[in-house]
Amino acid sequence: MHKIVRFVRATVIGLSVLVIASVVHSQSNPPTTEELAAQISALKQDYESRIAVLEAQLASLKAESLSTETKAVPAVRPSLSNRGNSFNPAIGIVLNGMVSEYSEEQSGIPGFQIGHESERPDEGLSLGHSELTLSSNIDDKFYGNFTLGFGVHAGEPTEVELEEAYIQTLPGAGLPDGLRVKAGRALWTFGYLNELHTHEDDFTDRPLPYRAYLDGAYNDDGMEVSLVLPGNLYGEVGGGIFRGGDTPFAGSRSGREAWSAFARLGGDIGSNSAWRIGGYILDGEARNRSGGAAHAHAEDDGHGHGEEEHEEEEHEEEEHGHDEAGEEGEHGDLAEFLSDGSFTGDSRLYGIDFRYTWAPTGNARDRELILQGEYFWRDESGDYVLQEEHEECTDPNDHSTCEVHMEDITESLSGDSQGWYAQAVYRFLPHWRVGARYSHLSSPDDDAELDDDPYALSTMIDWTNSEFSRIRFQYNRESFNGEDDDQFMLQYIMSIGAHGAHSF
Amino acid sequence: MKTWHAALLVMTLGAILPLSAVAQEPIRVLACEPEWAALAEEIGGNDVIVHSATQGRQDAHHIRARPSLIAKVRLADVLFCSGAELEVGWLPVLMQRGARRIVQPGQPGHIMAADHVEMLDRPEVIDRSLGDIHPDGNPHVHLDPRNIVILADVLASRLERIDPSRSGAYRERLASFQSRWADAMTGWQKRMERLRGMEVIVHHKAWSYLLHWSGLERVASLERVSGIPPTASHLAQVFELARNSGTKAIIRAPFEPVDASDWLFGKTAIPVVELPFTVGAHPEVRDLFSLFDVTLTLLEEIKDRP
Repeated sequence: MHKIVRFVRATVIGLSVLVIASVVHSQSNPPTTEELAAQISALKQDYESRIAVLEAQLASLKAESLSTETKAVPAVRPSLSNRGNSFNPAIGIVLNGMVSEYSEEQSGIPGFQIGHESERPDEGLSLGHSELTLSSNIDDKFYGNFTLGFGVHAGEPTEVELEEAYIQTLPGAGLPDGLRVKAGRALWTFGYLNELHTHEDDFTDRPLPYRAYLDGAYNDDGMEVSLVLPGNLYGEVGGGIFRGGDTPFAGSRSGREAWSAFARLGGDIGSNSAWRIGGYILDGEARNRSGGAAHAHAEDDGHGHGEEEHEEEEHEEEEHGHDEAGEEGEHGDLAEFLSDGSFTGDSRLYGIDFRYTWAPTGNARDRELILQGEYFWRDESGDYVLQEEHEECTDPNDHSTCEVHMEDITESLSGDSQGWYAQAVYRFLPHWRVGARYSHLSSPDDDAELDDDPYALSTMIDWTNSEFSRIRFQYNRESFNGEDDDQFMLQYIMSIGAHGAHSF
Repeated sequence: MKTWHAALLVMTLGAILPLSAVAQEPIRVLACEPEWAALAEEIGGNDVIVHSATQGRQDAHHIRARPSLIAKVRLADVLFCSGAELEVGWLPVLMQRGARRIVQPGQPGHIMAADHVEMLDRPEVIDRSLGDIHPDGNPHVHLDPRNIVILADVLASRLERIDPSRSGAYRERLASFQSRWADAMTGWQKRMERLRGMEVIVHHKAWSYLLHWSGLERVASLERVSGIPPTASHLAQVFELARNSGTKAIIRAPFEPVDASDWLFGKTAIPVVELPFTVGAHPEVRDLFSLFDVTLTLLEEIKDRP
């Protein structure tokens, strides 16, 4: 403080000298009144600005010294922490609803297990996936997040899923710079979309490989460590261990049966575009994994939509002629094993992703092109078990002597499958975007005798009123086993309350 | 096994590299906006490496949390931003992902300009229907040159704390900057006398601090609700106001949409002037001094039009 006082004093003395000097100067050369007035006003302005500077300095120094007096460590008012509800967690709700029209009555990807999360939405008016998120810094070292997802399917009670419940270290936790640890249940690092909540997606539905391989997203229980490397380019490496309870895994016995590893690299090209690429591995074991049953849902797979599928199978068999069905079953119905059977074995998924953003004007809010793609390769070996009804009669002529019992039919499979998608989204006006996406799956086994590989083509246009509201129209053509399904979807996505910042 | 070795090597390197990067390395400053980058260059000189997250013609509200910025935060010693939620859409992600301790809130490397100056436009009602509002007040504090002096001082003392070995150099540059800034302010204040009371229409509240300092009169804002494009009915009201006042100019920032201001110009012939807003947004604006020089020159040109 003494220094400042001295500095102020010196400046004041300096200024006085200046005044005196100019007065002396003006005396030696008698000036006109105008000149004098001008000089005085100039001096006045000079004073005023210098005083303003000094006042500002004093004010800031006072604030600095106050903070250092009360605390040894400089305390600064944080402006980026949660606000408004000082000690309550930030609360955010996502509202989502849609109306959809499909040309095909049934939808399932032949040759792949389709879980509840990645089914086609109900036809007609429906509530999609609503979400409630509570999040907050726990203390100086930890952050916590709790997210519930509410799924509504026709004719079923509202399904509540604990999507995320995790803690994460804050940079103040004392870990080396760049290192983070996350534990609990979370949307883990795998590919691009997996970490996102579905309402953040650029399309209404997830691309085929996400639906077929991950049932929408991998959010198992476990922990993950990641390290951002020091360097001019962004580089991050990490990995995790997981329980092994969520698709593509199931029925974990030891509770630590899956692991992952990943590496990412990213940077800028000029000042208007940015890119990121990544490579990922997810490995584990599955026990009795079947579509929709992986994540401890309210109902088991034998009921609800499972039954409908069963009926359809029988229907198809009849069409093909009942007598031959038994003979052909060995190979012709392999696709059925793959989609409706339950899988036990090893599952490993490799993925690579890329994303490129370009804002032609430098402002992503005005105009922006986003190119994005992911490629997955799944390597599985194990047994698919399909339960079939079997009728046994003691007297072939008397139907009343027949007993129906279920029989397990096992098919051993060791094979790989690939899936990928590529998409482009362009913001052509500040509130309008258009996008197109192509996604493709290749059959897990050549013997499955699918006529064609499943693929889907999507186009969308959306209108974003503010960061918190968006209305989207999407058209899909899904072609599964040669049958085309035309899908029209109109969707709104709105959020109330806290709205997490978007990552790249 | 080979992959494991590679992973281990990468992990070890990651742990060792930051340790070797201390000592006499230059201090790395990551500024969120070009004005703070310019100030850091004034005070830090050759002792700092300054990077700005946004460019002159970019709107700092809306940039992406680009991977390159995570890398920049990871290595930054000082994070120098406007604060007051201007960067709320991307900075928290960068700070969390970059996980650099010294730039976290409460640490000496964390400087938010809004924490150190008097704020304007503090809203009385906080509701999302009012658009992108900033509960702490208007974050564009750099357009009042008196705030620049305060921040220069804050920055110098933080640099001294982080890098005591070069404390003398920071003090020297601060003193030199302060004296040059005071001289410049004297000149600007003289020029502003002529502009005082000139009526203008602004696009967005971004200009509050400039108006407050310079004494320009705001007749209306084209955006009734900030962050949400002007509505037709509101524009009609602005048109009435413009016609019935002596409005001399419509002020627009380089990153603001042109349609509304161009429309009003078409209807009223009131000239639109694009002021630089920050360093790098105009070919002649290369530092903080020329930012205010050019701003005043452009306003004077409008004033002198018949």
